[in-house]
Amino acid sequence: MHSSDSGRPEAADASPVCPRCADTGVSTVAHSPVPGVWQVLQCARCLYMWRTTEPARRTRREDYPLQFRLTEHDIATATEVPAVPALRAR
Amino acid sequence: MPYDDLRSFLDTLEKEGQLLRITDEVLPEPDLAAAANAAGRIGDGAPALWFDRVKGFTDARIVMNVHGSWRNHALALGLPKETSTREQVEEFARRWDAFPIAPERREDAPWRENTVTGDDIDLFGVLPLFRLNDGDGGFYLDKAAVVSRDPDDPDHFGKQNLGTYRMEVIGRDRLALQPVPVHDIAQHLRTAEEQGRDLPVAITLGNDPVVPLVAGMPLRYDQSEYEMAGALRGAPMPIATAPHTGLDVPWGAEVVIEGVVESRVRQIEGPFGEFTGHYSGGRRMPVIRIERISYRTDPIFESLYLGMPWTECDYLVGPNTCVPLLKQLRAEFPEVRAVNAMYTHGLLVIISTAKRYGGFAKAVGMRAMTTPHGLGYVTQVIVVDEDVDPFDLPQVMWAQSAKVNPKEDVVIIPNLSVVELAPASQPAGVTSKMIIDATTPVAPDVRGNFGTPAKDLPETAEWTARLRSLLAQR
Repeated sequence: MHSSDSGRPEAADASPVCPRCADTGVSTVAHSPVPGVWQVLQCARCLYMWRTTEPARRTRREDYPLQFRLTEHDIATATEVPAVPALRAR
Repeated sequence: MPYDDLRSFLDTLEKEGQLLRITDEVLPEPDLAAAANAAGRIGDGAPALWFDRVKGFTDARIVMNVHGSWRNHALALGLPKETSTREQVEEFARRWDAFPIAPERREDAPWRENTVTGDDIDLFGVLPLFRLNDGDGGFYLDKAAVVSRDPDDPDHFGKQNLGTYRMEVIGRDRLALQPVPVHDIAQHLRTAEEQGRDLPVAITLGNDPVVPLVAGMPLRYDQSEYEMAGALRGAPMPIATAPHTGLDVPWGAEVVIEGVVESRVRQIEGPFGEFTGHYSGGRRMPVIRIERISYRTDPIFESLYLGMPWTECDYLVGPNTCVPLLKQLRAEFPEVRAVNAMYTHGLLVIISTAKRYGGFAKAVGMRAMTTPHGLGYVTQVIVVDEDVDPFDLPQVMWAQSAKVNPKEDVVIIPNLSVVELAPASQPAGVTSKMIIDATTPVAPDVRGNFGTPAKDLPETAEWTARLRSLLAQR
């Protein structure tokens, strides 16, 4: 039996996961002006934003490229650019 | 006549056959970015691309690749579209000398027609946002000009900065901003953050075609981009006062977004496919809180694709990089005819020069490496004769193939400085550098058999201009 995508949920379903960091805190930030065509979703943790009509390589966790995935550790330890300077003495 | 806004320039592009309207419905992703990416792959003369049938949108108007060919770049400067690259760089350098030209204040800006503030602010309601590259963290504003002032000297017009910085949309009213530490806005932000204060900013999108050229120009900290725009336009640049921040912004913008960079806040940003042909990001960057959006009725969203070169941004920064090097070299060596420093911000440079005596061309190559820009960039120099056009790469390859005796004409110097982002540096920031002397040896350098060169006929230059003109009129 060959594999099929038919059983997989659509990215626009009620409980999508972030394709990039797999967090489940995903919210809808925009709806298509033409009703029902697409939504723009965003991950609360890594801030990744995507449109539900984008290719699977950008919208599905299982297809998201390994080199662009983020972990909680990556986010917590990311470098500050530019670094926050010291406050001037008043 | 210079263009005061994007719309009048698009009219000209269309009349000149340099704007292509995509009439089929397209997907926002991946079509918009893929089409603009493809514009850089179809050869010279690529047009700007206009989209107004984008799936799911009701009234999107998107334009890309506005500066994405030498023809369009020429038209942006008010030159005939067939003007050669070399002539465009030369004209750019000539106009640069007219700096400064004071701007002209006009308060009837068309972007005053519509305003949203407070809880009504929603970037998605004003702009048809979309993603460019697969690994990008989100939707970006990558061809906007960001205006800010020096918090310690807010009344100094020259210290007010207008620059292009990448901004990622991270919410309906929030943007992440990348202020590269060496850039002027990072200096403004540092001062504000040392004082614990937010930094007011105005972001202008869909500008007249000279704004993106000056917004990427390496001017001195106290030099005004508006006064440079006046020099490049050959007429004062029209500016207006942004109503919420009081910042000076281009009169002709399609959209003006005002807000503040929140003091001492950083959030995860990126990645974003960058001009080096590599992604950068996954770092914590400053955040802009949007407080007011003003926009023309039926605003046009202008964006550019960037990724593996060449793309539109190479046209935007190419002449900017050539001109300072040309001026610095000519100051000491008037023999220098032309400088092509358009490859990855001048990591590779081609210089055309006459020779005073044997060995002179190598000295010009070494001097290019020790100019201010050269210290951080110029890693490979090809020096060619005065009759070789450094912008004509087949001619440069002819010179290199015919004139170079590798043992004597290739010089490699180890352990020199380069920007850390140079992908081949090892360790980051250190590189060897190379001069390829592809000039004809002159006395007392008597190597080779170059006694009887076949030169272009004396009448050829006139015929070149004549053929170009005839072709353009067809």
